[in-house]
Amino acid sequence: MTFPATAPAPVNPRAGRGAGGWQAATRGLPAPRHLARTLFWLLLVLFILAPSACFLLLAVSPRLFAEGPQWFTLTYLRQTFTGTTAVAVVNSLWVSTAAAALGLVIGFPIAWLAARTTLPGRRLVAGGMWLVLLLPSWLPALGWQRLVQADGVMYRVGLDLPWVTHAIMGPFGVVLLLGLRCVPFTFLAITAALSGLGQEFEDAARVHGASRTAALRLILPIIAPAIWSALAIGFAESVSDFGVAATLAYNSNFSLATYQLYADIGNFPPSFPGAAAMGWLLVGAVAIPLALQARTLRGRSYAVLSGRSRQIARRRLTPGGAVAAVAGVWLFYLVALGVPGFGAVSGSLLGDYGGSFSLTLVNYHALLRSSDLLGPIERSLGYGAVTATVTVIGGFIAARLLTQRASRATRALDFMLLAAVALPSVVFGAGYIFAYNLPIMSTLGIDLYQTVMLLVIAYTASSLPTNARVLVGVVSQLQPSLKDAARTHGAGELTAWVRAVLPVVSRPIVMAYLLTFCGVFLELPLSQLLYAPNSPPLSVAIEDNLSNYHFGVGMAQSVLAVAIALAAVALVLGGYRLVAPAGWRRIGETTRG
Amino acid sequence: MNRTAWHRRMLGITALMGVGALAVAGCSSSSTSASPAKPGKVPLVVYSAQGYDKAMTQAFQKATGIPVKLDDNSTGPLLTQIEASKNNPNWGLLWVDGATAFAGLDQQGLLLKGFTPTVTWDSLGTASVPADHSYVPTGVTLMAALVYNKTKVAAPPATWQQLLQPQWKGAIGMNDPSQSGPTYPFIAGMMSYLGGVPAGEQYFTKLKGNGLIIHPTNGPTLQALTSGQIKLALVQSSAGIGAVLGDSKLTVKYLDPVTLLPSAIGIDAKAPAAEQAEAKKFIDFVLSPAGQKVMQSGDPTGDSLYYPVVQDVAPLAALPPLTGVKTQSIDPYTWGTKEASINTWFDSSIVR
Repeated sequence: MTFPATAPAPVNPRAGRGAGGWQAATRGLPAPRHLARTLFWLLLVLFILAPSACFLLLAVSPRLFAEGPQWFTLTYLRQTFTGTTAVAVVNSLWVSTAAAALGLVIGFPIAWLAARTTLPGRRLVAGGMWLVLLLPSWLPALGWQRLVQADGVMYRVGLDLPWVTHAIMGPFGVVLLLGLRCVPFTFLAITAALSGLGQEFEDAARVHGASRTAALRLILPIIAPAIWSALAIGFAESVSDFGVAATLAYNSNFSLATYQLYADIGNFPPSFPGAAAMGWLLVGAVAIPLALQARTLRGRSYAVLSGRSRQIARRRLTPGGAVAAVAGVWLFYLVALGVPGFGAVSGSLLGDYGGSFSLTLVNYHALLRSSDLLGPIERSLGYGAVTATVTVIGGFIAARLLTQRASRATRALDFMLLAAVALPSVVFGAGYIFAYNLPIMSTLGIDLYQTVMLLVIAYTASSLPTNARVLVGVVSQLQPSLKDAARTHGAGELTAWVRAVLPVVSRPIVMAYLLTFCGVFLELPLSQLLYAPNSPPLSVAIEDNLSNYHFGVGMAQSVLAVAIALAAVALVLGGYRLVAPAGWRRIGETTRG
Repeated sequence: MNRTAWHRRMLGITALMGVGALAVAGCSSSSTSASPAKPGKVPLVVYSAQGYDKAMTQAFQKATGIPVKLDDNSTGPLLTQIEASKNNPNWGLLWVDGATAFAGLDQQGLLLKGFTPTVTWDSLGTASVPADHSYVPTGVTLMAALVYNKTKVAAPPATWQQLLQPQWKGAIGMNDPSQSGPTYPFIAGMMSYLGGVPAGEQYFTKLKGNGLIIHPTNGPTLQALTSGQIKLALVQSSAGIGAVLGDSKLTVKYLDPVTLLPSAIGIDAKAPAAEQAEAKKFIDFVLSPAGQKVMQSGDPTGDSLYYPVVQDVAPLAALPPLTGVKTQSIDPYTWGTKEASINTWFDSSIVR
């Protein structure tokens, strides 16, 4: 394993300002490191840039891929600024901004309460976040719909609250659901940053007479990279979300850009150039958080994580504070998990399209009798495990590059990764077909389309941007002295990293691994377009049931899938606890204060 | 920690990471474990959205020894795959509902023309075979069937025009053509029946004025019916009859005329000759008595609820007889070219 270079002396983040370009990014590196970095860039170009570019090129040159007569046209781009398409784009922009902000407003206090206080039941908080993250976004949307729609559960139990229906089945509900979806990203990024932030900073502030508020004002700028990462991911994830756009937003007649894009592809014959033009706008949209992030963080250093980071003392909550905090956290989980859980479980326990309240296990019996039950589950577990392993390695390298000297190369990487998050998976999937099923590929004997290998590559490429974003917070806190000290004591490059750096980042890496695993386990759009025939992943099998009139069986399969994924998460976290040395686990842990 | 303990820890972590690799090795092998091709036989790649496709491909493989690779997906992703890969296609045959999609593929030169299976068509089959034989019908469902709760609706509408009456205000639901493949043929069929696109647009605009509620696909529309949100659901006949099998209070009625929605198979024009020959054998098998038995048993509460297109095959008992029901076919070549524009109009004027 090789990693991007670090200078022998601690990197001065200002040193590279204004220095630009690829040459600056690789200048002066020893040959093996230069080669490794070149290889990493090559992989990014091949597996993220090329498919995205192939698809986006369709907007201006449909003829390149035999999708129209024009070699060059701006017609499709112009169309995105008119009519319902323009409305959808504007809706997506403001909804995503609001959702990212909501995610931060809810996620930050929860992360702080779980990481720094004696919040009762705090060990369950992280597990709950994984559950929120694990649910595909359409599931909460359907759960809420089932609850508040006309003649929904709310009305059947006698709660005649039309204003709730109007609020949820509209822009407010869309922002709420997307915002809840952003909370785990905020939680992960902030928790990772707080883990790396030793007690010494708060102690120093308090010793000098700062109030708790003043101490918080000291800490917030230190973890600014994590806050901005959370906002950027939240915005990009919301702007590219399809699950809410196609369910709650669609049924509320509130059009979002991803749905319009889907309609362009879903129509027959599909308008790939029209969808590509919409893709340009989505990619352009991520420039907003990136520009804000760059403007805020430019020229500052956030390296606070070292082997000497002090264990944190948890703040003891007062009885009243504890009650309020627990109530707040439980309210969040009730809204984020209780309602969709009700939707999914009730859907799986009803045998007649949900028309009555008579419960039955008939769907589970049908599912367990099915001969096709195990294959898709095994496949998706395998795909998730391998993708997550490869992605955390790539994600760590990308995060390391992002936190090094500012150059044109790192800025390009930054934009490319976030733009890739903003592109809906269906665009990515179609881009992979255009890029990797060209006739010349077959002529060269490279037949990757509809193979397990291309599917795993696509999963990895689509997961890596989010993964790098999650890791960038903790990586930005790493002090170069950690590895330098190991090298000074004679350790080789790899040993120095494994023994000095890995211990302090092991927990965030495990979290990033699980994030990818969960995302891949129930991923649908890429799976639908790229899976190898005869080997359907779990999400395709579920969709097959849902679309072939077997709604209840499909919902039962969804419930089972979420349970299995949760068990896998528990296994990994338990494995980490058993296998990782006590010192590794101690980093970022707290003592009761 | 001493060096030995440290190495042991690292070994443990490596082992954990290796679990993933082993898992994929397992699933990779499962993906390649389809029965190996016999000499002279190439794998037949089947793109299908039919509920009974897995049962059918297994039966075909068993009967002929021809290895089959099945891409079982919804119609939308299958057509997206075909369109995106049309420069270098790797499918052998496509099996989905709706003739308009096949007409669109045929007009792009993507389908093999001229294949006629050796069967005797019944009247539904004869009405569904295209002039250039670029695709082959395998069964027929109807669009749209009127589904309602007979304990709540004593006097259902008897004509399409009666749906516009005030008594059905806010009580009718149908699917969105941009999400539900079978719904465009229904809209096109209504437009054809009413005399053209403008008359059809006028009809659906009036229906919207009467409170028409749009749901994405058959499932949600039927769910809205059973939950009481709507009283009349306009869905694909197989979905409606499947719902009746699960809830005896529901019933299905056909209004005159009802549009035929053939399920059909088309063969890739660019596939190797050997694969095209196998695709023809597959079609012959599907239309044979053995194949029809598989079609009727492979998805008994879903796609198996179709009306057969070959003589001497009776529909399943759950299907209402078509005696006295006026059916119509739309010209898929005429209406296929209008699909994108009509769906866009429907989305902006009726759905929104």
